[in-house]
Amino acid sequence: MISEILTRLRFLIFRKRRTELDEEIEFHLEQAITTRIAAGMDPAEARRQALIEFGGVEPTRERCERQRPAWWIGTVLQDLHYASRGFGRNPLFTITVLLTLALGIGATTGVFSVVDRILFRPLPYPDAGRIVSLGFVHSLERQEFVMGRFYVEWEKEQTFFSAMSAQSTGVHNCDLVENDPMQLSCISFQASFLPLLGISPVVGRNFLPEEDRPKGPPVAMISFGLWKGHYNSDPHILDRTINVNGDSARVVGVLPKDFQFPTLESADIITPFALDPAVQQTVNGGFGYPERVFARLKPGVSVAQAYAQMLPLFNDDIKWFPPSAKSETHFSIRTLRDREMQEARPVAWVLFGFVVAVLLIACANVAGLMMARGAGRQREFAVRSAIGATRGRLIRQALTEALLLSLAGGLAGLAIAQALVMVFVHLAPTGIPFIGRAHLDLRIAAFAALVSCLCGVIFGLATALQKPGLAALNAKASMSRSHAFWRRSLVTAQIAISIILLSGAALLLRSFTKIEEQNLGMRTGGVLTVNVALPWWRYNTDQKVMDFYLRLESSLRRLPGTRAVGLTDSIPPGGWQSDFRFADVHVQGKPPIPPGSGGTGVGRSVTPDYFRALNIPIVRGRNFADADRTGNEREVIISRLMAARLFPGEDSIGKRLLPGAQIRSGAPAIIVGVADNVKNNGLTEQSDPEMYTLRRSVPGDWSGNHLMVIVDSAMSAVAIEPWIRSEVSSIDRTIPVEMEPLDQTLNRLADRPRFETTLLGFFALTGLVLAVVGLYGLIAYMTTQRTHEIGLRMALGATRSHILSMIATDGLRMVLVGLAVGLGAALAVSHMLKTLLFQVSIYDPFTYIAVPLLLSFAALVAILIPARAGTRVEPAVTLRAD
Amino acid sequence: MPQSTDLLQGTLDLLILQTLALAPMHGWGVAQRIQQLSKDVLQIGQGSLYPALYRLEYKGWIRSEWQITENNRRAKYYRLTRTGRKQLVAELAGWDRLSSAIASVLGRAAEASS
Repeated sequence: MISEILTRLRFLIFRKRRTELDEEIEFHLEQAITTRIAAGMDPAEARRQALIEFGGVEPTRERCERQRPAWWIGTVLQDLHYASRGFGRNPLFTITVLLTLALGIGATTGVFSVVDRILFRPLPYPDAGRIVSLGFVHSLERQEFVMGRFYVEWEKEQTFFSAMSAQSTGVHNCDLVENDPMQLSCISFQASFLPLLGISPVVGRNFLPEEDRPKGPPVAMISFGLWKGHYNSDPHILDRTINVNGDSARVVGVLPKDFQFPTLESADIITPFALDPAVQQTVNGGFGYPERVFARLKPGVSVAQAYAQMLPLFNDDIKWFPPSAKSETHFSIRTLRDREMQEARPVAWVLFGFVVAVLLIACANVAGLMMARGAGRQREFAVRSAIGATRGRLIRQALTEALLLSLAGGLAGLAIAQALVMVFVHLAPTGIPFIGRAHLDLRIAAFAALVSCLCGVIFGLATALQKPGLAALNAKASMSRSHAFWRRSLVTAQIAISIILLSGAALLLRSFTKIEEQNLGMRTGGVLTVNVALPWWRYNTDQKVMDFYLRLESSLRRLPGTRAVGLTDSIPPGGWQSDFRFADVHVQGKPPIPPGSGGTGVGRSVTPDYFRALNIPIVRGRNFADADRTGNEREVIISRLMAARLFPGEDSIGKRLLPGAQIRSGAPAIIVGVADNVKNNGLTEQSDPEMYTLRRSVPGDWSGNHLMVIVDSAMSAVAIEPWIRSEVSSIDRTIPVEMEPLDQTLNRLADRPRFETTLLGFFALTGLVLAVVGLYGLIAYMTTQRTHEIGLRMALGATRSHILSMIATDGLRMVLVGLAVGLGAALAVSHMLKTLLFQVSIYDPFTYIAVPLLLSFAALVAILIPARAGTRVEPAVTLRAD
Repeated sequence: MPQSTDLLQGTLDLLILQTLALAPMHGWGVAQRIQQLSKDVLQIGQGSLYPALYRLEYKGWIRSEWQITENNRRAKYYRLTRTGRKQLVAELAGWDRLSSAIASVLGRAAEASS
């Protein structure tokens, strides 16, 4: 009674707002009834007929409502509201999808933004695809170079290039002499160089042709960095005359801020190349000086066509070469991009593959989850359809939900991507071109978001598109068979892909630990390398150079705690070192080695303390002695590898040889000792044979002006660095000194593999997490779907462990199939990693055992958690439900 | 009950506009008038009459206001606006073109069969 009153009261207060339409319809009905009564009909019958004639009031109201121009906004809001309520009711599904999307979009966008810079970005020159690098390559120099004499001919005779231009082979140290001398790097190029690249100076102008001639007016261009940093962006920079290495030059231009040398070097001061054809015919044995040559292909000319045209010219030139060099020299022409990307390419492609794989996993995940949810909602859709929702409305509802999820996941993904890019750029070693400029690429973010959202939308729509049948209204277990099969396949595929990712990453990790742990053959801890480069224009004789370094050596030896001070022109295992052709070594009393055979070796010119400082053992014979430095005899020590190659089965001590490239003539040197092998070709490459020549105290042994001093001290590096600095400046206060503990230098060499390993490892883990999340989601979902069945089984006497094993077996079957497929695929594609691996077989057994174990463990956890939850079902409760 | 004829697509708008061009009227009146003028051939279902009235109002061709009927009852009256009048002229011209085209097609067909 009271409740009835309350209900009435509620309708009185909260009654539906009467709209104009209601009143209008009411009026219409009234008129219809009145007309019928007037015609003599019984009032009740009149009302009944009028209502029948009118038809449904509610559909009419809705159709009128739909005429409103902004009607659809309201329904979208309704859809959104409904969707968010649905998500709130199903947090497991929502969080899983969001996590998948965020990780998938975030990881792929982050990494792709970085890789894109390396692989696909256009070079910073207009129409860069037509710029090529061309010239000779041979075993000692794999970057194209052209001897000056031939360059002059080539430029005259070629017809396929619209321009051809040269720069000097590399940057060199130079001094900007002002009140406070500064060591900078200088380079020179021809006046035609910038126009070829399509670049013009940001301030001033390019070199004029008359400036680019021998004995032309002294001019220079400077880098943007130097202009900004050193000259404070001086607007009158063009009036300045700067003094480089004691010669004054007028500044005529400033290079653009983003200018990038095609060789990727950085230089502060550029001078005209001033090529003199006459001089090139005489110097360097008539070959001229080597230079780097770039050219721009004419439109429609391919690299292959240009190669075909240049090859006869090259074949003419090669006739002049000494026979030993002929067989090892080839002609090469390749696009600038190929030249710049040569090292980064394999890594970038592997990363790209990983990106695609992770994206696939993410898609499969979203698709699987959407399908699972859709299957679970067949009944809901059927109900909505039965109470009047149109198909279009249902599809829109599904679409709204998919888009809402994608949007949220995409936003979270962008945040992750931004963070990743910053981490990657921070981690990246210096050698990778352009990486510093990497930033979050919105186009790629859009692409990743689009791909994963499409997966969600397509599979989300799959259920809404089916005509909801009456059967779905009654069905208890509404999951259809074909959907279940597809979802299982998706999970299996995810497991397979993550096996590929994980094994790739594991191989790289193994390779990286091998790099870190390998025996370099020398001590690196507690050794300080001191880099002292002398300005050649002041130290212009070998005598001056020798005097400087000998003074430095003796003053460093006097420092407290010093155990050894060695001088050398290079330090293993990486960086610049002087190579020689093995075939150029002439052993006395042995037939010459056939030219072109034996590859290359490393030559080092050292003082006796070199071996002590780096703790390289002398395995036979003796070390150089200090007394040898003043003797007349030339002494060499060879590495064990070299001894085995030159004197297989004999004793090498006391044998004499001419060390080839470095010393071609004069008295042969005597081998006094054999040193143990040292890693001398980078951290990852096979070591080359090595030959140490004694740096005697005669000026002839001191050509070159850049030596390194290795100091082995009992004191810490921090303590002795200032002492060393003051010792150097007490000899010459303008000389810049760079110091670094040797193990830090080595650490930097390992930066690159470390970077690759980190990136790929991160990716593999993302893939694993996604796959496991997918597996977990599916098992959890299927278990809830089967609650009724489980309850029935338990009522019929199944124990909890029966149920557990039933669910787990189901999951494990998917995992096992995935494992098998994944392992097969991983073995098949692992050869792509070959170039990146160091001392690890692409069929590394450890990897292919550990990875499936790790994945099985993770999968087992992902299966058992939801499966255990499934066994907690109370039979009485589930059977009564529905 | 007289047999009703399905209205050609779009002709309902024309009929409503034409009816309202004579005098402002409420929905019931519009339906009655069309039925009357067509000698009970055209019966407008309420399910399409009111949505059509709303649509025309949103398009700005008719305007509505509440007035008191002769029986002292509040009712919503629709009247033609100026754009509605222009639209009516355009639709009438279109209708003439269409009906004469159909007539000539049918006339030719009648000749061929006879």
